[in-house]
Amino acid sequence: MFGRYTSAICREIELREIPSEKIRSIYFGGGTPSILPIEMIEKIFNSIPNKKSSPEITIEANPGTVDKKYLRDLRRIGFNRISFGVQSFNDRILKSIGRIHTSRDALDSIDSARLAGFKNINIDLIYALPNQTIEDLQNDLDIIAALDIQHVSIYGLQIEEGTRFSQMKLDLPSDEITESMYDLIVSELPRLGFHRYEISNYAKDGFESRQNLGYWSDIPYIGFGSAAHSYLNDDRIENFSNVEEYIDAIESGKIFYRAEDPNRNRNDLISEFCFLGLRKTSGIDRSQFKNKFGDPIEKYFQREIDRLISKNLLEVDEKSIRLTPLGMKFGNLAFEEFLL
Amino acid sequence: MDQKHIRNFSIIAHIDHGKSTIADRLIEITGTMQKRDMEAQVLDNMELERERGITIKAQTVRLNYKSRDGEMYQLNLIDTPGHVDFNYEVSRSLAACEGALLVVDAAQGVEAQTLANVYLALDHDLTILPVINKIDLPSADPDRVKKEIEDGIGLDASDAILTSAKTGEGIDEILEKIVEEIPAPEGDENSPLQALIFDSYFDPYKGAVARIRLMSGKIEKGDRLKMMATGKIFEVTELGCFSPNLMPLDELSTGEVGYVCGSLKDVRDIRVGDTITSEKNPASEPLPGYRGVTSMVYCGLYPVDSADYDNLKEALEKLQLNDAALKFEPETSAALGFGFRCGFLGLLHMDVIQERLEREYNLKLITTAPSVIYRVNKTDGEILMIDNPAKLPKTTEIASIAEPYVKATVIVPKDYVGSVMEVSQDKRGEYQSMDYLDTNRVMITYQIPLSEIIYDYFDRLKSTTRGYASLDYELSDYREADLVKLDILLNGDVVDALSSIVHKDRAVPRGRQLALKLKRIIPQQMFDIPVQAAVGGRIIAREDVKARRKDVLAKCYGGDVSRKKKLLEKQKEGKKRMKAVGSVDLPQEAFMAILSDD
Repeated sequence: MFGRYTSAICREIELREIPSEKIRSIYFGGGTPSILPIEMIEKIFNSIPNKKSSPEITIEANPGTVDKKYLRDLRRIGFNRISFGVQSFNDRILKSIGRIHTSRDALDSIDSARLAGFKNINIDLIYALPNQTIEDLQNDLDIIAALDIQHVSIYGLQIEEGTRFSQMKLDLPSDEITESMYDLIVSELPRLGFHRYEISNYAKDGFESRQNLGYWSDIPYIGFGSAAHSYLNDDRIENFSNVEEYIDAIESGKIFYRAEDPNRNRNDLISEFCFLGLRKTSGIDRSQFKNKFGDPIEKYFQREIDRLISKNLLEVDEKSIRLTPLGMKFGNLAFEEFLL
Repeated sequence: MDQKHIRNFSIIAHIDHGKSTIADRLIEITGTMQKRDMEAQVLDNMELERERGITIKAQTVRLNYKSRDGEMYQLNLIDTPGHVDFNYEVSRSLAACEGALLVVDAAQGVEAQTLANVYLALDHDLTILPVINKIDLPSADPDRVKKEIEDGIGLDASDAILTSAKTGEGIDEILEKIVEEIPAPEGDENSPLQALIFDSYFDPYKGAVARIRLMSGKIEKGDRLKMMATGKIFEVTELGCFSPNLMPLDELSTGEVGYVCGSLKDVRDIRVGDTITSEKNPASEPLPGYRGVTSMVYCGLYPVDSADYDNLKEALEKLQLNDAALKFEPETSAALGFGFRCGFLGLLHMDVIQERLEREYNLKLITTAPSVIYRVNKTDGEILMIDNPAKLPKTTEIASIAEPYVKATVIVPKDYVGSVMEVSQDKRGEYQSMDYLDTNRVMITYQIPLSEIIYDYFDRLKSTTRGYASLDYELSDYREADLVKLDILLNGDVVDALSSIVHKDRAVPRGRQLALKLKRIIPQQMFDIPVQAAVGGRIIAREDVKARRKDVLAKCYGGDVSRKKKLLEKQKEGKKRMKAVGSVDLPQEAFMAILSDD
């Protein structure tokens, strides 16, 4: 199975038209690529044309699933950034959300990665988890302070309809406590040297993820593999999410993707450009908007911008349009104003 | 056509008892329209009318029918609006007829609405032909319905025509009975012209068009005619009959039903109930029964987006072209900005106008809760008619307030009499009478404040009688009552559009209820919102809408964009009907919260 899938991905890389420019970043993720044997990772990596031109090459891994040898091999292949799905450093909470790793596993993995030569390490954390207290979160932050990592992505738990969580009766923190947790993160991480560059992303200077920033800055990307998304020539497509279907389609030379939204039009492009750009603390770049759409952003959103400024959700200057700290907290109120 | 061969009739029926289907069958069987040209319910033109299964505008059709005696007859069917809001229009349509079909559902029996219209028809001395429809239904019970017609209305139903408009059974018999039983129109062709206007509408090519019935005299193309109530004079450029589309003719004479149009641009020049006569040889008297438009309820209409004000104005003007009963004038609300105070014949009329504005003119509107017109005697002797609760003078300037009462007629199975009385009593109703229509069904009448009818009287009536109650009402008089203004404050400021006038005894419980209800309706915002209710400046209730703590999509990477955009769109869609009042966003629902107890 792994073998067939790996071959299919390599085949897809051959089939897709990849522009010959320098590559901005490479990312192995979405799921847990580190369950693949190292040879297969290497095979896929080697099939990428022009791969050595990329300054940022990331792989995702779950704590406790990668040993020192595997990590050294990743470095040897060319990976220079690693991202661990830590979620929490509290074993009681990890257990309650069904994670099989422990906080010990996480600390060991981070340490091994560092020893293997990774100088750019990210951890993913979640807050507002079931049974989590402010003290639990403070404890996570204290651990981060002591770690040699460069990047933190931290999300409030959002339970979406139709997921396993939505069926369960969970003891979630109140809105007030969740807000306090958010406030704590926003003030504490910068104090530890991680500045906020996007709603949920924090990095030490110079370690902002090029891959992530690409998503919010209208940079095209090509995703390979089942359920991978691509953004190319202003189109958004998604590969078949059923692995069997994906492999069959690739092997038989048939279409293996679908449009994310078949009715997409120019207004959607403009809206996406704006609500994605606003996720960054640097905001929407006015000149980039004008270059792409031909007119200043005010031509489309003057009233919306004024309204958001009056609510203290938005701030503007001659270069950019950005969310205020309050705007970051109530981002959706700003985003929806930019839907055409 | 000589007068002896003309029959003018209308159809009286409760909603859903099959009026429109019967009309369709009559049109079909007389060959007035080919079957392939017919859409179901030909006479209900407006999309809204079809959807709701109701008639809003009176429609007319001329049927040419060769009867069993071998003669050709001209049958004019005037289809009347089927709702209490349009009672006056119904009465004018009936005045244009000599007879009426009383259509009653063979399973449902007589309803309050039917009864009210039958009495109207009897007032006009119409010959009434009972028709029992839907006899194909398994639950049909024609004998019971006959008895109801006889006991409840006092009509002889032994010869009632049994039909099924669905299968076509009995339709021939209806046509024969119309010819045999309904009298031919009277009136003298050589007398001065008297034509009754029973409806009007606007045609983009012909201008304002009057639907008329000639009571005496005749009209030819080129005649100069005069409206007797308004004095307006115009020259006839076209006249004709309805087939049901306009069919131009050279003349209309006594007894006939048709249309005239001329140099008239505004439907307000063509008042329903007015008499048209000839300019050079006018009738000495107009026909009886004319009255101006009386608006029963008023509400404020405001654009959600204040930039739409001019569009709203234009749309109201266009609707008024076709609906002389719609009144509006500019109004300013501290909370809602610029909008219009609009007067309507009733709640359905209001609903229909609002829906047409949104649908046909693509406007997003905030509608304030409907209000009746209060008569205020001020201490300085001035009398004010108040159509907006926010405009009620200060308590110290008020000597007394009077409110409109209606006579409400309710028909229910006898088991529910207690429930009807309870609800009516609770709505400040004053018992008047109770009569048995048959062994099972009872007609109860009450004097009730119109404001309570608008509040939730009918809803409560329906739920407490499990849907069996039918209601009809007519304005009776103004009565003094102990009324006070109930204000709502958001963030400490009075929101004028949420004020209402209530009976003093109910002000406190209603204020509490309203504050609670608003707390439920107003979505969480970025800050706490105190919701207070006040009577005469005294706070009687307070609830708080707690602030939303944060609202942001935590995660949005390459694969999430389209899905997250959909989420944002959904969230935005939910806010479309919200109006920013100060710093608080209020949904349309909040403005209607005043209207019910739940």
